[in-house]
Amino acid sequence: MVDAARLKPTVPYVLLGAAAGYLYYVAAHFDYHRREGVLGPDFWPKLVLILVIVTCVYEVAKRLVLGARKEEVGGVLGELVEESARAHGDTALAVPVEHHPWLLVAGMALSVAYVAVIQTLGFFSATVPYIALFIALGGYRRWGVIAAVSLIGALALMFFFMKIVYVSLPIGREPFDQVMLALMQIMAIR
Amino acid sequence: MEGVLSQLALGFVHVFAPANLIALVVGLLAGLLVAVLPGLTLVMGVVLALPFTYKMDVTAAIILLTAMYVSGTYAGAWTSILFRVPGEPIDVPLLWDGYTMARKGQAPQALGWTLLAALFGGLLAATVMVALSHPIAKIALTFSTPEYFAIIFFGLASVVSLGGSSLANALISLFIGLLIATVGVDDTYGAHRFTFGVPILTDGIDYLVVMVGAFGLGEVFSRLDYGFRTAPLETVGTVKTKLPQWRDIAATKASFIRSGVLGVLIGIVPGAGATVASFLSYGVESQYGKRKAEMGRGIPEGIIAPQTAATSSVGGAMIPLITMGIPGSGATAIILGAFLLHGLQPGPQVFQTSSDLVYAVFASLFVAVIGMCLIGYFAAKVIVRVLEFPEVIVSAYVVMCCVLGAFAARNNITDVWLLVVFGVLGYLAERLRFPVPPLVLGVILGPLAEQNFMTTMISFNNDWTVFFTRPVSGPIMAIGVFTLIYPIIRHLRQRAGRPATRHAGRN
Repeated sequence: MVDAARLKPTVPYVLLGAAAGYLYYVAAHFDYHRREGVLGPDFWPKLVLILVIVTCVYEVAKRLVLGARKEEVGGVLGELVEESARAHGDTALAVPVEHHPWLLVAGMALSVAYVAVIQTLGFFSATVPYIALFIALGGYRRWGVIAAVSLIGALALMFFFMKIVYVSLPIGREPFDQVMLALMQIMAIR
Repeated sequence: MEGVLSQLALGFVHVFAPANLIALVVGLLAGLLVAVLPGLTLVMGVVLALPFTYKMDVTAAIILLTAMYVSGTYAGAWTSILFRVPGEPIDVPLLWDGYTMARKGQAPQALGWTLLAALFGGLLAATVMVALSHPIAKIALTFSTPEYFAIIFFGLASVVSLGGSSLANALISLFIGLLIATVGVDDTYGAHRFTFGVPILTDGIDYLVVMVGAFGLGEVFSRLDYGFRTAPLETVGTVKTKLPQWRDIAATKASFIRSGVLGVLIGIVPGAGATVASFLSYGVESQYGKRKAEMGRGIPEGIIAPQTAATSSVGGAMIPLITMGIPGSGATAIILGAFLLHGLQPGPQVFQTSSDLVYAVFASLFVAVIGMCLIGYFAAKVIVRVLEFPEVIVSAYVVMCCVLGAFAARNNITDVWLLVVFGVLGYLAERLRFPVPPLVLGVILGPLAEQNFMTTMISFNNDWTVFFTRPVSGPIMAIGVFTLIYPIIRHLRQRAGRPATRHAGRN
């Protein structure tokens, strides 16, 4: 019986291998006009997918048999950096160990919400609260600075991208578009 | 050689055109700030600058990004030496002697050696780049598709072999990148590959979205996960740069030359770059330097070695990019992206089709190195103050630049959704220890690899052995295969050399 400690690290590889298997099935059904003796458009993706599956199977088997990650073959750079830092007793490269999963989820959700509403609210009306909420979420509490940074930042980005780089940023849908249209008029953006 | 020098002179004329000079200064300042700012890495900075170059002239765009790249290898040294805060791994070796010198009250001298090392490394690399690029490009012109595939294979193999803490994870990252590059309508057959009925996927996934998402947004998500906690800064009395005396420089000339040459050579190897150069050069100095026994106790050689090599690796990394279209580092992968965005494919042909641009970029490196040292000498005190800037505010603007960069590429909100997907993927990759650079290089070089592979197969009746039997592609493929298996050999040798007590201790 394989214990849970050995099974857990295999999960990403099992999922990746399964996804690769599904994509292989999709690649095998690409719709194209086959030519005798010539490799089709499915050859390259299938080759890559086989390599993904083989690597995943190897990793799963290794983890189930050997368990610990200590014997992993590392990239030369990674080992070089770690060895040198260790030799000098340096902890500057040590990765912070304390995780904040809820902060991460909230940040991701905020970013998804921003993308979801930007076409409805328009760039300015969506960006100002997004920047402000993101900074507040990160633990910064000087509200005056937050307000200034989000307002001035959104205006500066809007001016640069719409007036100088000529990118047509989302204006928004009625009635929210009125904010962007008014600002565009003030900035002489056509 | 005369032709090269006259073209280079013309390149200097182009660099001093107002638009290009402004781009260069902006690039230098942005690179210095990126290297100092908390929460921003050099590669991230170059990625975020890319969208701002969309509407620029291609020469100005490449000059800006190159200037950012070179100055980004320099300013991180200030925070390492003064505050013991390495901006990224490049700057870690500078802690060992640079910070020690600062603690002994010799911070101005340490900054002076850093400046000199960056100046020497940068100018040496720029000279080597000019001298070697044209001959290499001439050789590359004789290459056919098997040779190009072999070079790309070698490049991808070295990225996998060097990066990350797990070879298998680096391989998986690379394969995912190669797979992402296949999404869209196939050029030869018009077949829809992995489009799943989503209209925008028929045009493929823009590598820019992958780069910005994985490097930029992914990094911000990682920092959110760590709660934006940065170590408190130590107080520093004065930030001054004191240049060393001539006799001190003469006494350390071997270290300068050794580190400079090593940096250029490492830069040329695809997938290596400033970090490898910095660490390896410090290691070489510790082994062969005149004062090897004193390394780590705050001596100039401990600053010269990593800084000279890091800055000289920039010129080295530009050589395979310009002459063969193969990026030698994460930052050059983005510069390659800028070339492609402006409809230019770097490679041997650019010396014929766009020689003005190539020599302007070469000349810009000379000017950038001198410019960055001047800015460093006079403005380091002001620039290091941005270290006090709250990381969360920087990160909020990083997200904004990511969103705008992705949106501006095709003016399509779907790209922004894809950006979020690749941001999450980038975060998960870092969390699960899958290195991001192989994924990004896979996306960029995937189409080239597939195209050259398929063309070779058609030309040589599906005979794959041709890659190994041709006089040029064969040895390159062999080096590529060796590069790929080298970490395994290294691992096995280390395990064989390890005392048996370790195994006993694990039981």
